[in-house]
Amino acid sequence: MMSRRAGETILIGDRIEIVIAHIGRSRVKVGIRAPRDTPVIARELKLVREENRAAAGVGPVTDWGGLLARLETSPQVSATLSDKGSARQEAAPKN
Amino acid sequence: MPLLDTKNFGRIAFESRDTIEFPRGLPGFEDRRQFVLIRQERARPLVFLQSLEEPGLCFITAPVLAVDPQFRLKMSEEDREAADLSSVRRPRIGRDVWALGVISIRETGPTVNLLAPLVINLRSLRAVQAVMRDSTYSHRHALPEPAEAVCS
Repeated sequence: MMSRRAGETILIGDRIEIVIAHIGRSRVKVGIRAPRDTPVIARELKLVREENRAAAGVGPVTDWGGLLARLETSPQVSATLSDKGSARQEAAPKN
Repeated sequence: MPLLDTKNFGRIAFESRDTIEFPRGLPGFEDRRQFVLIRQERARPLVFLQSLEEPGLCFITAPVLAVDPQFRLKMSEEDREAADLSSVRRPRIGRDVWALGVISIRETGPTVNLLAPLVINLRSLRAVQAVMRDSTYSHRHALPEPAEAVCS
């Protein structure tokens, strides 16, 4: 752990530099200087990337009955789908 | 009408004007920008996001509201910009945008990525996979087991 104020810098090794650029109420802005071959991304983005690759890796789907059953068992879901939900969703990318 | 080879539905016809454009691609698939949505009556409420550029690339998705009716969309400014929504401070699902959760099918059961739904601008069909801000949503939201033996 290390405390820093706005404007102060942290060094990681001698090639990575992290500047605390701005401290807001609930978020900080951080500037990062790193070598080109060191990817800098938010952790969530890495999770999303892995998740997308896993999702795309599924073979062609021949039977999605099990999946539908899981979506339909939730009582709130059927409520949403039977009234506003489906009408709104159906109205979508047709224009 | 142009034809398209799909992963799950063979060759289908589609309208070019229904093409959905992800200007930044999707994380992990940054160079895949153009998709179409495929819906099938027997697979409702699932929505299939089929790549125009790669027939073997298709994501199975479900509207986030079908997974969590209380779902709240909170996009960063950068993500709004990517989907042509700079002027819409709080995009509303169903009115301004569609929000679809990508489904992963794994041995332990299917999960939906609620942390980063696909957000599609209904007017321009520009889209982005938006990481929700300040969110507690999971990238692996489990879908509940079907209730067993619901006899009538």
